[in-house]
Amino acid sequence: MTDLAHEPELGHHDEHESTGIENRKLGMWVFLSSEFLFFGALISNYLLYSNRGGFDAPYPAEVYDIPFTSVSSFVLLMSSLTMVLAHNALSRDDQNGARTWLFATAALGSVFLGGQVFEFTDFIVEFGMTLSTNPAASAFYVLTGFHGLHVAIGVIMLLSLWGISRRQNGLSEKHGLNLELVGLYWHFVDIIWIVIFTVVYLLSLPPS
Amino acid sequence: MSDHTHPTPAQYWKIAVVLAVLTAIEVGMYYIDRELGLGAFNAAILLVLALTKFIIVVGWYMHLRFESPFLNRFFTGGFILALSLYAIILGLLGVLVIRGGG
Repeated sequence: MTDLAHEPELGHHDEHESTGIENRKLGMWVFLSSEFLFFGALISNYLLYSNRGGFDAPYPAEVYDIPFTSVSSFVLLMSSLTMVLAHNALSRDDQNGARTWLFATAALGSVFLGGQVFEFTDFIVEFGMTLSTNPAASAFYVLTGFHGLHVAIGVIMLLSLWGISRRQNGLSEKHGLNLELVGLYWHFVDIIWIVIFTVVYLLSLPPS
Repeated sequence: MSDHTHPTPAQYWKIAVVLAVLTAIEVGMYYIDRELGLGAFNAAILLVLALTKFIIVVGWYMHLRFESPFLNRFFTGGFILALSLYAIILGLLGVLVIRGGG
């Protein structure tokens, strides 16, 4: 990464503390840190119960559709690309580009959510794995459900910014910082899925 | 203050390709493990790949590596501490025992 572009920070205000970081930006990082601990607890909960036998089948690891989830993971991963391209476009004052990439990010997030709804429906209807089938299923639905909720909130924030940009014919300096903060949130949702995909889907085994 | 030098769009695309390739390797490892039963080796590879993707997204897409040293150290240190805490607790509860491949 040697050929770096000069990219001005978005939405610079006079709200710098002695840390040298925007207050709201620092607040978002602190918030995301607490969210990391929240998801860490949910992932640990899943790991504790994922292969604890003696309960009704099926267990989550017996019903996973890895090819399908891999595609969903890829979609969410690419939404991080479109998010950072929206941020980059706005920093170059390319309002149309920022709006397009924002919408693309929201669309990819919606596709991921649709995939999760399909997956949950499939698990419940086809395999009979409900929230109360066994502790592993409960832990799985709570973990992935909360992640899905975070994605849904992210999509709403992205569409809100997109709507503001359309109505005002571009994002102002203030909304530029909002886009940066929403971007941080969106990438966080992506990195949590990176962990869930590996630990919950790829490494999980049913009770032996 | 951040150094205001962020990657270009072309570099963001290259990073996305790297992330996609790492994801493909992860999925490939999953199927190789199902055939060969690599067990702990597979788990180690998958965790390293996930950690690599994690670091790439946080460092380049979230721009942490371009932020102020304070923010960088504070959150990297916090992340390592939190990860260590979860690893110790899960280890004590016997969760981090890798079984043979399915």
